[in-house]
Amino acid sequence: MTVSTDSDPAAAAADQVNGSVPNRTPRFGPGWLAAVLIFGLLVGAAGGILYPRLFGTPEDTSVEAGFLRDMSTHHAQAVEMAMIAHANSTNKDVVTLAGDIALTQHGQINYMQAWLRDWNLSPTGSEAPMAWMPGSAGAVVNGLMPGMATPEQLAKLRTATGTDLDVQFLTLMRQHHLGGIHMAQEALALSDNKDVDWLADSMVSSQQGEITLIDAMLKKIQQK
Amino acid sequence: MSTPGPERVPSTVKVDKTSGQGKPPAAKKAGGARPAGARPGGGKGGKGKKVTPVKVSGGRNWGPIAVAGVVVLIAVGIIGYGVYASVKGSASWQDKVTAIDGVTDYRAKKDAAIDSRNHKDGALTYVTNPPVGGDHNPTWQNCMGDVYTEPIANEHAVHSLEHGAVWVTYKQGLAADQVAKLTSKVQGQEYMLMSPIAGLDKNVSLQVWGYQLKVDNADDKRIDEFIKDARLKASMEPGAACSGGNTTTGPIQAADAGATTGQ
Repeated sequence: MTVSTDSDPAAAAADQVNGSVPNRTPRFGPGWLAAVLIFGLLVGAAGGILYPRLFGTPEDTSVEAGFLRDMSTHHAQAVEMAMIAHANSTNKDVVTLAGDIALTQHGQINYMQAWLRDWNLSPTGSEAPMAWMPGSAGAVVNGLMPGMATPEQLAKLRTATGTDLDVQFLTLMRQHHLGGIHMAQEALALSDNKDVDWLADSMVSSQQGEITLIDAMLKKIQQK
Repeated sequence: MSTPGPERVPSTVKVDKTSGQGKPPAAKKAGGARPAGARPGGGKGGKGKKVTPVKVSGGRNWGPIAVAGVVVLIAVGIIGYGVYASVKGSASWQDKVTAIDGVTDYRAKKDAAIDSRNHKDGALTYVTNPPVGGDHNPTWQNCMGDVYTEPIANEHAVHSLEHGAVWVTYKQGLAADQVAKLTSKVQGQEYMLMSPIAGLDKNVSLQVWGYQLKVDNADDKRIDEFIKDARLKASMEPGAACSGGNTTTGPIQAADAGATTGQ
């Protein structure tokens, strides 16, 4: 453009026209716009799908949240039974095992509750117990998840003494572990969350080991 | 002498905006006819302002601007919704509980008799019925989803509230189907316990530490809401257990300091 002089307006105008046309045409064609728009939408959709998986935390009705809540309740009953045996048993092996189970499972409850808190989720859910597990209908009887002792069994355990107490405790805990292992295996299969899988995997292996130990102890006690 | 291309556009825009010459078409005509020096606005404004305003305003490509505008609007909408959802989702449990119609917020009353959390043996008196807080027995009432069919000691139950339990109480003698409905909400549920109270002023009363909801019917939807929003979250001692508590019914025993399975 001519800025220094206005000696020849017509020439300047012509210069404008000639100079500006090649500049302008390639700037924003409709095809370009569509490409940018589609690219943006794709990036947005991909981000929306990937971000929660890569960096997000499980949602309120997720397998992870359901497992952590239910396993907290399941564990709490194991702690309850173990504390009864720990307080009342006179068998040194039973006292040791009961103490181990109570401390371990109480510690694991804290892991699970802390993760729910980290994820900004309520420690308790509004879904039915075991709702996170497909095909779990019928697994919950009177509010009790698989392997859990009934109120009557617990009442009996509280008043039991001696060998009777030991056998009741070991039998109930064996059953309790079987139910817990089943739930943990389901969580392992359904969840890709590293923390949840790590804890569930440790539950499976340690409780399977304890079942072997319980079987040996039951055999020993009943042979006396 | 011509300036290089890139400077051309800004300079013409500037002229367009600062010249104050009005409509571009008029400027076009005027630009051709009038000498630049005759215009008001000083020497600087005199240069090269003739045709250019038309070209710039006519050449402005509204397509990308419109698209950018729409994209920005959508982005703002998404961000706005995200903020709204997170703010709404992060409402505190206290706000959710107090938002339930009919809930009494005793925490807000700052009543020392309710806020006090000392361990005391023997019979204690409470300022509400059922109690929602206050001093209590060293032993809590077992609250692992325990359903007690006879009245239990307030002194133990208040300790369960301190540990985060929802205590479901009902008027003793309530219809069996109503009791069964309440039972189904409690049994197997950790941090829940249930017991009848003789002469309760409403059919059902739910309490956690510092909050109470009284309703007439076990079918009332607010019962589930209260349980969902307050259970465990109302704990005054995070991590405290519901097991290992007293499992007997009846009034407090004179020397009942941890007489059962620990404290």
